[in-house]
Amino acid sequence: MPPAEATATDVLTVEGVAVRFGGVAALSDANLRVRAGSVTGLIGPNGAGKTTLFNVISGLQAPDRGTVQLNGTEITHMRPHRRARLGLARTFQRLELFGTLSAGENVQVGLESSVKWWQWRHVKRSFPWVKRGAAATVEDGPSGPGSIAVATADRLLEGVGLGGLGAEQASAMPTGLARMVELARALAMAPKVLLLDEPGSGLDDAESQALGELLTTLANGGMGVLLVEHDMELVMRICDYIYVLDFGDVIASGTPEQIRKDPMVQAAYLGTVTDTEADAVAEQSPPPARSATPEDGAGGARGADEEDDEVAEA
Amino acid sequence: MSNFLQFTVFGIMLGAGYAIAATGLVVTYTTSGVFNFAQGAVGMIAAFGYWELVSAHHVPVLAALVIVLILGASIAGAFVERVLMRRLHGASAERPVMVTLGLMVILTGMATIVWSPTTQRSVEPMISGQFRLVGINIQYQYVLIIAVAAAVAFGLRALFYRTRTGFALRAVVDDPELLGMSGVSPNRMSQYGWMLGFMMAALSGVLLAPTQTTGISIPALTLLVVSGYAAAIIGRLKNIPVAFAAAIGIGLAENYITNYIEPHLSSALQTDVQAAVPMIFLFAALVTLPSVRLRAVGRLTSLRAPRVAGGRESLVAGGVFLAVAVVAMLVFANSSWKGITILDLGAEVMAFGIIALSLVLVTGYSGQVSLCQFTFMGIGAFIMGKVAGGGSVLGLLAATAICAAVGALIAWPTVRLSDLYLALATFAFADAVFYGFFSDGRIYGSGGLSIGRIVLPGLSLGSDKAEFLLVTVFFVLSAWLVLAIRRSLFGRRLVAVNDSPAAYATVGLDIGFTKVAVFAIAAAMAGLAGALYGTVQGTVGTTDFDLFSGIIFVLFVTIWSIRTVSGAFLAALTYVALNQIWPSSIGIFAGLGVILIGRAANGILGIEALHFRLPWVKAPAAPPEALAMSTFSGAPTGSEGLSAAG
Repeated sequence: MPPAEATATDVLTVEGVAVRFGGVAALSDANLRVRAGSVTGLIGPNGAGKTTLFNVISGLQAPDRGTVQLNGTEITHMRPHRRARLGLARTFQRLELFGTLSAGENVQVGLESSVKWWQWRHVKRSFPWVKRGAAATVEDGPSGPGSIAVATADRLLEGVGLGGLGAEQASAMPTGLARMVELARALAMAPKVLLLDEPGSGLDDAESQALGELLTTLANGGMGVLLVEHDMELVMRICDYIYVLDFGDVIASGTPEQIRKDPMVQAAYLGTVTDTEADAVAEQSPPPARSATPEDGAGGARGADEEDDEVAEA
Repeated sequence: MSNFLQFTVFGIMLGAGYAIAATGLVVTYTTSGVFNFAQGAVGMIAAFGYWELVSAHHVPVLAALVIVLILGASIAGAFVERVLMRRLHGASAERPVMVTLGLMVILTGMATIVWSPTTQRSVEPMISGQFRLVGINIQYQYVLIIAVAAAVAFGLRALFYRTRTGFALRAVVDDPELLGMSGVSPNRMSQYGWMLGFMMAALSGVLLAPTQTTGISIPALTLLVVSGYAAAIIGRLKNIPVAFAAAIGIGLAENYITNYIEPHLSSALQTDVQAAVPMIFLFAALVTLPSVRLRAVGRLTSLRAPRVAGGRESLVAGGVFLAVAVVAMLVFANSSWKGITILDLGAEVMAFGIIALSLVLVTGYSGQVSLCQFTFMGIGAFIMGKVAGGGSVLGLLAATAICAAVGALIAWPTVRLSDLYLALATFAFADAVFYGFFSDGRIYGSGGLSIGRIVLPGLSLGSDKAEFLLVTVFFVLSAWLVLAIRRSLFGRRLVAVNDSPAAYATVGLDIGFTKVAVFAIAAAMAGLAGALYGTVQGTVGTTDFDLFSGIIFVLFVTIWSIRTVSGAFLAALTYVALNQIWPSSIGIFAGLGVILIGRAANGILGIEALHFRLPWVKAPAAPPEALAMSTFSGAPTGSEGLSAAG
């Protein structure tokens, strides 16, 4: 079960990735694999390098070394939009919505990026996780690319719990709902691999529960999901396999049960702990922020995995 | 050999002057994140102020320097930061660009009023005399400029990297809130940055003024810093030593070209080359600059986009507009203003309206600032005049197509970079084409280029009425096109690429293609407008497509609303009207207007308080706060929906 070696079902492979920002090593030697049809967790304290790794995978950050493969295709030096066209979609830790557009239009942009104009009339795009199915609506309902796109976007929004909110301006929505718009936009691309950066922040318990069910359903449909999340209860419940990142290194990997008992993980999260405390790791949300290190320099208080981690040139 | 040494010394001196200007740009950008397009204008005002004090009022040089640099420039910098820039925090990205451009046209407009351009003014060197070294004569003024530039570069480098204030100055643009929490006022740091930037601008103006062999002139001094722009860009707007070295290199290269290449060219070509060289350096800098990494900044735009008219609504509104135009045509058929028929002025409004619509597309929707739409207009008019003897449909098509191609060529090298660089590239392009091409007497001829009115097979459109109707129809068609684009898949992409480039790329869309495409479409529209403008005027000359007029026009569109078709029309109307009534003050009106609009991204038409007064502007349904609340009330919660989905 643990994907220590490459297998035929690996849809995403990261090997030996390192990224430095000036004197700060955001990633030292990151390795991970994501299998099709599984939810893989990526956890670690703030500043561990999780978002930097997401940026490397999605092409927003060039690694200093290491490789990234998507479905066996080397994408390390590929531009972000080409990776997306190969089936990679992501959401962001800090919202990156098209704020001036409505929620529905946000999803449309994602949808329209992956459907060629000549495909609209015959679009058989299947979103099996959406009950009633977008394809059925398309076949039975409106004709013409514009109408099909609107109808399909509405169905996708409904699928993430935002039915009827397609006309709302994205930037005016509460954070929790806006995160769902971002998720719907990513799903509209019908990706093979979905990278989710803290999708649960801003959601209440019931919404978090529902998110977990949705991600499980997506994985059951064959998608590979890589999840960064501080809600340990959610991670431990839905992930098939978990990687733990600390100081830019993968310090542990395994099933949720193995991770829960791993002494290095316990140390990274809680310092030296008892078994009882180790069990509490699963309940902890969010984990403590890593303290600044001397190498962090003047800006060390800012986590190296923050989005704005570019180091000013001298 | 002695010639070479002489040219080298003069080149280093020239480069040192650029270096001071470039350093000022870097300081302002580093501390505020704003590229100050008014840098050259500040230097120009300082040079004229210095001339006024020393030459006209015989104030001692040192006292004049204290007044201009310490009192004038630093206080002006502090004032600009406090009154104009501080309130732009969090405004849309093009807003600071517009405000600094507004400042530039205000300063040039005021200078034109105070110091008549027809009067010759020469500034004496601060230290007269020269000395001889290795067989060449070196003026003390040159040594002064080089020494001051070096002192400024080393001093600022030490300030930024060796002092606590310097750290704070560098930190303020990254995270002002964090800086505030460490006990340093981010506003004060930003203000220091603007004060320093203005002082550097003034210093470069005062030092370079005596080297202007033909006397100081408002446009020449204002645009002298284009070479400084190139140097600052090579330093990536943050590295002072690199910017300094680049400025010296550019100064040397310019001077070698002037002395070794230009003498072998015809006199007309010499002027063209002189004008083109700074632009070539700027372009070379842009092309060689490494790509800017896409960054997920996590800052959601809170801008509420103006409502976009639906297809049927656009058709009806266009029909009504045409009907009103026909009535106006009948009413004003025989009227004129200052010797120009009202119908010609009306047709001019429509032609400028098409330019404004192109700005709605490229700046309003996709967020790219283009300062060269008048340049495309001039190119379009030129092609219209040259193809098939002028006044032909073929000319219209050629003007549109060629401008689209030129537009794509201009945008292509800069799309890897941030939108600021496209604004700079368009500024340099407009500068070079105006001074190197439009001002060349051989292009338009001494009496202007005759274009003539459009003749269709079997149908002459020679009358004012027919011409007015024709241009109006093109305006309405352009408005329909712009709205249709906005409603389309491509329109959503334009807005999306402006809102979040990082998200745009990660949903599988090519940022470069989108930006080049929209810029090419906008250039094509401007070319068409230029061709039509030419047919309205009958003859176009060198002054029709002036660089500053183009910038002033962009500001008018911004003032009314650069995101709406109605804003485009009102901008064109205002521009043509003010050009007839107060042509000498139009820049001041534009500059003050854009400053007063401040952070209102949707211009006058976006100010909600005015909506009930402007009945044709429909206000959005509800303010953002109410929208957010309605999201909570009555809408299915995320958990319900997700449960249903699961």
